[in-house]
Amino acid sequence: MRKTIMPLLIICLFAGFFLAYQFKIQSKSTSFDAISQRNNNLITIIQDLEKEIANQENQIEAMRTQLNELQSQNNQGKLQEYQTTLTRAKIEAGLTPVIGKGLTITLDDNKEGLKDNPTDDPNKYIIHYEHILNLVNELKIGSAEAIAINGQRLITTSEIRCVGNVILVNMTRIAPPFEIKAIGSPKLMNESILMGQLGTLKDANFPITIVESDELVIPAYKGDLQFTYTAQQ
Amino acid sequence: MWFIIPVLGLILGVYLGSAVTFQLPAIYLKYMSIAVLASLDSVFGGIRSIMEEKFDGTILLTGFFTNALLAALLTYLGDRLGVDLYYAAVFAFGVRLFQNLAAIRHHFLTRLRNKRQVKQGESNE
Repeated sequence: MRKTIMPLLIICLFAGFFLAYQFKIQSKSTSFDAISQRNNNLITIIQDLEKEIANQENQIEAMRTQLNELQSQNNQGKLQEYQTTLTRAKIEAGLTPVIGKGLTITLDDNKEGLKDNPTDDPNKYIIHYEHILNLVNELKIGSAEAIAINGQRLITTSEIRCVGNVILVNMTRIAPPFEIKAIGSPKLMNESILMGQLGTLKDANFPITIVESDELVIPAYKGDLQFTYTAQQ
Repeated sequence: MWFIIPVLGLILGVYLGSAVTFQLPAIYLKYMSIAVLASLDSVFGGIRSIMEEKFDGTILLTGFFTNALLAALLTYLGDRLGVDLYYAAVFAFGVRLFQNLAAIRHHFLTRLRNKRQVKQGESNE
């Protein structure tokens, strides 16, 4: 009898275990989709973080205005001189909104082209971060003094980086249509970009407009400046 | 009343199964259902062989493991090939379950009838 019981006992143990476990999984899995759940989690995390960033940017802005007030209070003697250098430095660092002659370039994905050639590689009809990067570099060659992409002022530490289907500038995600504003000599900048990246994009039928204006306003850099490792020599 | 012990084993298994909190990744759900069917098939097969009085523990255990392994292999192969070979295993186990159950019922009924006939024969004498 013992020879009968042991194998049967083992099998029964297995059967009970699998049955109960499967039952538990099934009752749980009605609304269980691992991937979408994870995505939802990530989306909420991103949204929370973006809110936090906005909050902190507001804080930084408030503190900067406070600082400005404090600086404008003492306007005597040598301070005046310091003030002018400070404003100069701030403009150069991109910490103040600036105004001047310049270009506004808008560019978007070539949706028409993709519609006409649906079988083609969609990558050919999308504005990639390299395009933006090249454009910015060519603007700089063309004497651009201040540049902003979709309201993000470019400063020394600004990055232009591809993250999935959006582009990261100043740690902020931007998406097409892109609006690049640049203060500088309109003629030089125009020549520079039309010889380079913008010309290529235009040839590929991307929807592009270039607007020249005398009073172009470029916003200040909204983020925090952190120079942890750098010191004056 | 020796069959109480396997039943106790079943209950213990159920308890263990519901106590385990381990989360199985979604891809392995198929293998889990195969395992359920394989073990159920073996339980019924065991009962049947006891009824037929040709029970062999080694055959039962090896049968369980090889069947489960083959089924898992089929499922894996099916996943690789994009053919739902997993249904073949489900089907085979399902058919065997019914066959075993039918055999158990047959034996049970014949035993019952035999007993009655014996009793009637006794009373007739």
